[in-house]
Amino acid sequence: MSDILFLAEFSAGRPARSALELATGAAELAAASAGSAVGLAYGSGAAAGAAALGAQGAARVVLLGDEDRPAVTYAGALAAAVRDTGGLALLAPATPNGRDLAAALVGLLDLPAFGPVRAVRVAGGAVETEQATLQGSAITTSRPVDGAPTPAVVLVLPNTFTPAEDGSGTADVSTAGASDASPFARAKVVESHEADARVANLDEATVIVAGGRGTGGDAGFALLRDLAAVLGGAVGASRAAADAGWIEYQLQIGQTGKVVKPQLYIGAGISGAIQHRVGMQTAEHVVAINRDPDAPIGEFADLYVVGDLFQIVPALTEEIRRRKGS
Amino acid sequence: MKIVVCIKQVPATGADKRYTADYRLDRTGVEAIINPLDEYAIEQALKLVDAGVADSVTYLSMGPESAAEALRRALAMGGDDAVLVTDGALAGADEWATAVVLAAALARLAPDVALMGMASDDARGSLVPGAVAAKRGLPLLSYGAELTIADGAARIRRLSATGFDWIEAPLPVVATVTDQVGEPRYASLKGIMAAKRKPLETLSLADIGVDPAALRGGALTRVTDSRAPEAKPPTERIENVAAAEAATRVADWLAARKLI
Repeated sequence: MSDILFLAEFSAGRPARSALELATGAAELAAASAGSAVGLAYGSGAAAGAAALGAQGAARVVLLGDEDRPAVTYAGALAAAVRDTGGLALLAPATPNGRDLAAALVGLLDLPAFGPVRAVRVAGGAVETEQATLQGSAITTSRPVDGAPTPAVVLVLPNTFTPAEDGSGTADVSTAGASDASPFARAKVVESHEADARVANLDEATVIVAGGRGTGGDAGFALLRDLAAVLGGAVGASRAAADAGWIEYQLQIGQTGKVVKPQLYIGAGISGAIQHRVGMQTAEHVVAINRDPDAPIGEFADLYVVGDLFQIVPALTEEIRRRKGS
Repeated sequence: MKIVVCIKQVPATGADKRYTADYRLDRTGVEAIINPLDEYAIEQALKLVDAGVADSVTYLSMGPESAAEALRRALAMGGDDAVLVTDGALAGADEWATAVVLAAALARLAPDVALMGMASDDARGSLVPGAVAAKRGLPLLSYGAELTIADGAARIRRLSATGFDWIEAPLPVVATVTDQVGEPRYASLKGIMAAKRKPLETLSLADIGVDPAALRGGALTRVTDSRAPEAKPPTERIENVAAAEAATRVADWLAARKLI
């Protein structure tokens, strides 16, 4: 029972980046636990795309369903599949959908749960996780108690694993049994509304340029979009900017928005309040641009540029464009 | 239509926190507050009362005896009564054990909507609501920017990847809401006075029919180590230079780390 399971979310016909990351992570862990990486796939495109998760190291994929419906409605089918497959750990993305399914599993199968974690490994025959706690001032290591049921459910932050790209394997795909009669399946989407097409998926971005109150509105965000474009990244925001209506809530980073872990985070006009910090504190490199020489973001930025973002951001965009020769 | 809002008492945001020798949060001398994200659930429940949709609001918390203070503060914002589940066997309870206990208490209270904040300020796993729904055999409506109730069903407006959806389930449900429901109201002086007279019931595990042995010591997980984060190099600063100079130096810094 040392297989490593992972949730593989699909939407709009293709795998979420989290599915590729977690397939890679599950394969890494499975190598250490002498087991296999087993995907549990759901959402539109899952049927067609499941086998291709073999490229990231998945040996098998159980197809829970191919419909575009609220992720949590797959909880009953997921629990049944997990009961069948067993396993040492189940990796779930630390996204709203991933958390919903992880939480349902914890309640349905009485499983230990961890997260959101920034590292997970197999040690001494059990999973061991690392979490940033006490608002970033401590890193704690946790394990299941002795004799705890398996699999341990682990919420994994985005970009904890880098999707393997060179694989060519094909996963064996099986279909989960019987239709879902669990209470979770009673939730239904009754209306769907499309917002602004500018909304990019922050979960997939390795570079994020985020703006806060200091951007002052549309003109400031236009400058951030230019910088994000030249860096091949996405634009994010603090809650203040989203509340002001300058940017969509889908792009809000922080306690009540997205938790992101990009390679590079550039915050412009963001003070760095704790509520924002918990959403980006695990970014690998943090650059802050702020007029205030004493903003809290200066306490945890790697590079702190004191100055006017309306001058510095366009100058930086131009400089990077020049170096890239485009 | 009856709502139970589950609230958690947590250490104040930004307070200086540390662990005890067995890796539990040392609460000594740390100010305790209602989990700020639970206040939005309270606000949403009271909005439904204001609109004449909900008939009663009960607060439910699991925690030490001192968590009664958080329940009194919630009652000062509005609502009718409160229940505190407190028991020595619950010290160090994890998300799973918390869900077992809240579900047992909710079975007794039998609300149409069990409403919670989207996450707790201290643990941030967002795992309790879904686990409670599983234990109660109820649908979960999570991360609502708004909650409405009509015709025997609950609806939430939830952000999607590219917009938002309205998601509906028949009552009873477990639901969570985000900070988009609107700023929580302040407790008025009148509200604070009224809260002192509102019923607050304290229950043990035995009272809600949970066998402490079934909680397996209160947790399926344990912290084995805690350390300071990797020491980061001190923050490099660029200041008092023209924008062009700052841009060149930032680009150099990024290039040195192969970020451009």
